[in-house]
Amino acid sequence: MLEARSRERPGFPHPTCLETIETMPRPELERYQEAALDHAIRHAFHQAPLIGGLWKEAGIAPSDIRSMADFTSKVPFMSKDSLRSFRDRHGDPLGGMYGGEPGEVVAVETTSGTTGDPTALATGWVQTDALSYARDLWQIGLRPGDYHLHILMTYRGGHRRHVLPELGIGEIHVSMSRTEMPRLCEASRRFRPTTMSVIANPFILALEEHFEQSGEDPVDTFSSYKGAIFGGEPLGNRLKALTGSWGLELFETTALGDVCGASECRAHDGMHAYEDFALIECIDPMTLEPVPDGQVGELVVTALHKRFSPFMRYRTDDLVVLDRSPCRCGRTHARFKLLGRVGDQIVVRGRSILPRELLTHIEVQSETRAGLFQIVRATREMDRLHLRVGYDESRLSTGEKALADRLTDILTDALDVPVHIELTSDHELLKLGPPHKIPRVTKA
Amino acid sequence: MSGKSAIADFVGCYHDGGTLRFFPFLQGEIVRAAVAMERVIASFSLRRGGHVLTISLTQEVAQFAPFEWALRMSGLIGANADATPFDASRVESIVRQFDAAAVCGIDEAMIEGLRALGHDPAALLAGRICWARHGAFEMLQAAGLSTARRMAELGPMLALECVEGAGMHVDAREWTVAAVGGRIRLSSRLDRHTPIADLDTGLDGDVVTAPCTCGNPDPRVIII
Repeated sequence: MLEARSRERPGFPHPTCLETIETMPRPELERYQEAALDHAIRHAFHQAPLIGGLWKEAGIAPSDIRSMADFTSKVPFMSKDSLRSFRDRHGDPLGGMYGGEPGEVVAVETTSGTTGDPTALATGWVQTDALSYARDLWQIGLRPGDYHLHILMTYRGGHRRHVLPELGIGEIHVSMSRTEMPRLCEASRRFRPTTMSVIANPFILALEEHFEQSGEDPVDTFSSYKGAIFGGEPLGNRLKALTGSWGLELFETTALGDVCGASECRAHDGMHAYEDFALIECIDPMTLEPVPDGQVGELVVTALHKRFSPFMRYRTDDLVVLDRSPCRCGRTHARFKLLGRVGDQIVVRGRSILPRELLTHIEVQSETRAGLFQIVRATREMDRLHLRVGYDESRLSTGEKALADRLTDILTDALDVPVHIELTSDHELLKLGPPHKIPRVTKA
Repeated sequence: MSGKSAIADFVGCYHDGGTLRFFPFLQGEIVRAAVAMERVIASFSLRRGGHVLTISLTQEVAQFAPFEWALRMSGLIGANADATPFDASRVESIVRQFDAAAVCGIDEAMIEGLRALGHDPAALLAGRICWARHGAFEMLQAAGLSTARRMAELGPMLALECVEGAGMHVDAREWTVAAVGGRIRLSSRLDRHTPIADLDTGLDGDVVTAPCTCGNPDPRVIII
């Protein structure tokens, strides 16, 4: 039975962008950022013991920061390691990011945390990532009176979601599990949602399997969708083409540090960073010097409105290329293309390699179409590339050695470095990570 | 369905026999349910600013959104972990680092997941209120955890034991609950987006209507 959508007022002229600040002219946006930053740095210095401590070590105080130039030249960087170190030294599970009154905090969210204790972040009732995703979904075409299909782990946001329902949008909640994909399909046909977030590689593979086994029509199943937000890992060409054949347009997303989300728009020309939520910089990860727009550097993020986790010049470990020119969608905030993680970069005989480069070659082979692999990296610089590659045992026709040899030849030819392939089943590799991704780089 | 606006604010799910059914509901129904849950939470006199870990699945929004709202009403700070053994390390990390006052939603698979990591669930949860699902409650009780309390999903609603531990309270304003032939059945009383009529909850038990010694007048479901 199709659930009727009757909340939307017929003929109501919804704006193209959810918020007017998304199209604010850049000079005005930059003035806004300076004003917001002035408040943010005073709040961070006094409320976050980690920030106050870092600044005192650097011999600076908020009164020393009178301009953006002062900020980028005087304020020290921080990183996830800064939080972990503070946490371990002081026994503060919030890593020194909040020292205010307990009654102000509503919840604690935690990151994926594949190793050690996950990073914990205090939040209030208003969550900036929920607000940023509302903008992203609005751009895709979600409107009041529509349904949105929500897939995410509970440790990001819990059951405290309210932003979309407050806009008159219904949220269908599905767990982040491969076994939920049949119910996702059923919900799609019954409620006819307009958008979905966040779909990830393992779930697209599970959907592929479900459609092959059930005979259900993916085109009909996804016929109501204007798009789906995809995240967790890079999107490979094969799965992009597959979902495209289903009529499901994917929009890649990533985290903007831990401040908010950043997603593509229909131009698919970089992910939008909401510069009213965060000040962004791009630096050379080795020299720490600023990198011009258009060149590869590490993304650095400063929270402009995150009272309980006021990140200041937070090094994200993400390698990006920034573009501050206006987007074809009409919005003026910067976009960036995500190339990989600084920490995932390896050097083999002088050649820098990121996991994203390998995906294209691995996913086009029938046996390894899931694109599951890990780089086994004992040291950052190596003499050969050691890959652990997952394969579908039901598709293996020529034997493991033949598959390994084929992959070795293809990758050696593409990368011009020696390659060693270690094969394992997709099933075994999927056990190594959370439901939506596997660690792409491992020491053993 | 309600004669009001047809679109729901949320769509969760509930078990009906062996079938998982979609459950559309409204934001207002969350707050209504939270009022009753707050009465149960208040029976424990937890200190404001204390942390409470919820272990659940995203699809259990109908059952757990009111619980999280009730935490906020009580001045407690929520944290979350997925109800899968994969998140056992997160459960241990949150309970330990934040000295959680309470945990809600633990099941047998999570207990096994904690043990697989080398943790003793009873030791980890000692001194903390622990609302445990069927099966997990029995395991924790057998391990000597005196602060364990039962919880259960009765269709789309979450029933919790109070400090007295003498049956799980069911919000009498929202639901009619009865034991029919030893099986607990649930019906909605007030107007809601998706009415529930005589749902077989799948639980065998009895219903106690005498007021609880915690002072909460809501009836209690005793599992047999």
